[in-house]
Amino acid sequence: MRSMFSFRAEGGEFIPPSSKDFVLPPIFGDNEFTTKPIFLVIFSVIIISIFFIAASRKASIVPSKLQFAGESVYAYVRNDLGKDIIGHEFMRFVPYLFTLFVFILTNNIFGIVPLIQFPTMSRISFAYVLGIITFAVFHYVGIRHHGIFKYLKDILFMPGVPKPVYILLTPIEIATYLIVRPLTISLRLFANMFAGHLLLMIFILGGHHLLEGAIGLKLVSPFAFAFGIAITFFEFLVQCLQAYIFTLLTALYIGGALADEH
Amino acid sequence: MSRINEGAAWTILGYLISGPLFWGGIGWALDKWLVTGYFLPIGLLLGMGAALYLVWLRFGREG
Repeated sequence: MRSMFSFRAEGGEFIPPSSKDFVLPPIFGDNEFTTKPIFLVIFSVIIISIFFIAASRKASIVPSKLQFAGESVYAYVRNDLGKDIIGHEFMRFVPYLFTLFVFILTNNIFGIVPLIQFPTMSRISFAYVLGIITFAVFHYVGIRHHGIFKYLKDILFMPGVPKPVYILLTPIEIATYLIVRPLTISLRLFANMFAGHLLLMIFILGGHHLLEGAIGLKLVSPFAFAFGIAITFFEFLVQCLQAYIFTLLTALYIGGALADEH
Repeated sequence: MSRINEGAAWTILGYLISGPLFWGGIGWALDKWLVTGYFLPIGLLLGMGAALYLVWLRFGREG
């Protein structure tokens, strides 16, 4: 995020936002572990904890509004993402799925919360870490469930195929399970957050730039801001959707690893 | 039922990416090595075909 001051100092030229705007300087000195995304992650953990502790502290049969809100999210993840997809062993994975969903959702929504306005997952490393955790979980579950040899055999050798064809197919299976799955799940989350934030910057900074221009340009700038607001609502949709898709894919992969035959 | 289809859709997408990626990659490497130009398209087609075949094997046979 660039400051308005440097923006003015650049003179009349409009410099469109770029990927450089995502590299934020450290907050304390030059310790690179104190950048805004890191604090946002810590902050998200704190507010999620407070919210769900408060929501479940005085649990009663007739729920308060807060308890109802917390339980709706939990029930949604448990039933729609856990039970429907993973099957009868789903309860073991609900804590992970729930944590994942709420964590990603909160960090995504940071992108449109005033004063914060930075989606943590638009820095790719955060998305990679989540992808790697999911990758480790679903392979571990599969290996524990089937034993390592049967699990690998199920993945690598599709039944009912003439043997020479395996030369063609097995590399694709390996690439799918070991590279494409963790990579696409991370990239999908990252790219959506990155592009969304870039889009918002273009409309808001563009509107600001027009406002500083000639009178004719000043008149058009409200349209840019209006679009910025519309995009903000659209981004909210994307942010929820991406948290959902990441969790859904994790559940699908776990369900696939537990399935008895592919 | 729609949930199972949803899972199938993502798996199919994965195959369709990794097929051309792997065999196209092999073709590209062969082109670099042998200084030719036709292994990359062959690899891409081969990968796409193999990926479609895998999709059929996994989801088409059960009917």
